[in-house]
Amino acid sequence: MTQIDFLHLMPLIILTLAALLNMLVVAAWRNHKIIYVITAVSFVAAFLSLFELRGITAHAIEPLFVIDGFGVFYIGLILATALVISMLSYAYFEQREEQKEEYYILLILSTLGACTLVISTHFASLFLGLEVLSVALYTLISYLRTRERSDEAGIKYLILAAFSSAFLLFGMALVYYSTGTMTFAGIATAIADLQELPLLLLTGFGMMIIGIGFKLSVVPFHMWTPDVYEGAPAPVTAFIATVSKGGVLGLLIRFFMEVDGFRYPTLITIFSIVAIASMIAGNLLALLQTNVKRILAYSSISHLGYLMVAFLAGNRLGVEAVTFYLVAYFITTVGAFGVVAMLSDTERDAELLEDYRGLLWRRPWTATAFTAMLLSLAGIPLTAGFVGKFYVLAAGVNTQLWLLVAMLVLNSVVGLYYYIKVVAVMFQQPEAEAEPRPRLRPSIYLASVGTLAVLTLLLVLVGVYPAALVEVIQQVFASAPVMAGR
Amino acid sequence: MSASTMEAALLLAGVLFMLGLISVLIRRNIIFMLISVEIMLNAAGLAFIVAGSRWVQPDGQVMFIFILTMAAAEVSVGLALILQIYHQLKTLDSDAASFMKG
Repeated sequence: MTQIDFLHLMPLIILTLAALLNMLVVAAWRNHKIIYVITAVSFVAAFLSLFELRGITAHAIEPLFVIDGFGVFYIGLILATALVISMLSYAYFEQREEQKEEYYILLILSTLGACTLVISTHFASLFLGLEVLSVALYTLISYLRTRERSDEAGIKYLILAAFSSAFLLFGMALVYYSTGTMTFAGIATAIADLQELPLLLLTGFGMMIIGIGFKLSVVPFHMWTPDVYEGAPAPVTAFIATVSKGGVLGLLIRFFMEVDGFRYPTLITIFSIVAIASMIAGNLLALLQTNVKRILAYSSISHLGYLMVAFLAGNRLGVEAVTFYLVAYFITTVGAFGVVAMLSDTERDAELLEDYRGLLWRRPWTATAFTAMLLSLAGIPLTAGFVGKFYVLAAGVNTQLWLLVAMLVLNSVVGLYYYIKVVAVMFQQPEAEAEPRPRLRPSIYLASVGTLAVLTLLLVLVGVYPAALVEVIQQVFASAPVMAGR
Repeated sequence: MSASTMEAALLLAGVLFMLGLISVLIRRNIIFMLISVEIMLNAAGLAFIVAGSRWVQPDGQVMFIFILTMAAAEVSVGLALILQIYHQLKTLDSDAASFMKG
């Protein structure tokens, strides 16, 4: 590796070093604040190191990685989200008894895995990134190990994630057996002349889709999602919903663009069915829930369905729409789970609808932020979610995916109902004066309020003036060779 | 190796994978479920080795070593979690460890 390679991998190197440093510091001196500061500084440093790469042409580190505009943007998105989640985690874990320092090591490692995913161009780096992400997540999910639900969620995720990894690996082995190469570009050349995919290769791709589908939690591979969302600590849930899914989606886009999977009607049909099923099942099942975390879990399933619509457009506009929607979805989801984390007490997470009854009268600002997040998830104008959905619709209409577009519109209406239901509960006048919960220490309280305020502002800003974000996305994608000629 | 041996070896990997898959679905004991997942992962590893030897490349075996490493990490986390669950529930029946529904 040359010096220039190291420069391009700087974000990953910084994260690795920060994880090691944290581990050494924990061994020498346990202090929540110091570990937290190291973590936050490393995320910021890794994020800033991306600016060194701005305006570069794509740089390939053969055969494992390529660092192009697409990858840089996704790494930046992942790092920024991880930073916000670490801020929310600090307030959340400060009030808990457990040893909380190791949490940050795992958080950094899983972020590292997601960053590796979005720049990988080889099955080996794909696999390594995915497993670094997942193995750290098993532990994060069951971090509050004295809670039965946390352990249950952890073991469920572990079995199902390993199960889906086995599918992914077997699929990769079949593709390798048929094509003789494991690089994405090599596979693309090997299958370029084929009109129809041979059975073995189709089985391979099918098994890979199953593996990826589990990680993205699209229907019919969604069974783990509500349970894991409910059992995991609120900041970790935010992490699974955003960073983990965003990383895998980035990888899926890169792989499909490179291999040009959109030429094969079989694959398109599979993805269309998955998208429609995710939208319908996610929204209908969310209607039945009374647990806020589960509502958000099913809503995330349907949002992945919306994202699939833009993904299926398969052109440059589609990828831009996916990316824009992902940014809006990250902001709102982290914000929503941030509110859940903030309202949680030491015993359990604030997850029942009852916990939110009359929230507007008890904590007006928190309730306002939560309302903004929910309205954005529903796609009400003046929020980021609306512009994102509009963009996705535009991409769908542009490639004449009429069925998918119609399902998207229909499902947005259904979705509106359960988001408004939560908002209505918050606006209800409380019957009796609830006993005031013990407040956190003011400084910690301020940190999470500040984070939420920033997220809400961003949400409205992107909703009112989306042109800035669109411009950034178009600019960085200009240097991605994957997008060339689309 | 001849082409037919390759196909037979790939078939063996496929059968092993199916055995693991079926046993994950029907077993109720968490430890057995973990073992079944291991069988699936090793079947995938075997498929990689077959593919590597078909193209006379070391890549398949490299991937197998990666899979072994990952499976080891996974099992260590899994066993720790299973211990914790056994502490709380005094059973390893996966139906008992099911508080969350809906």
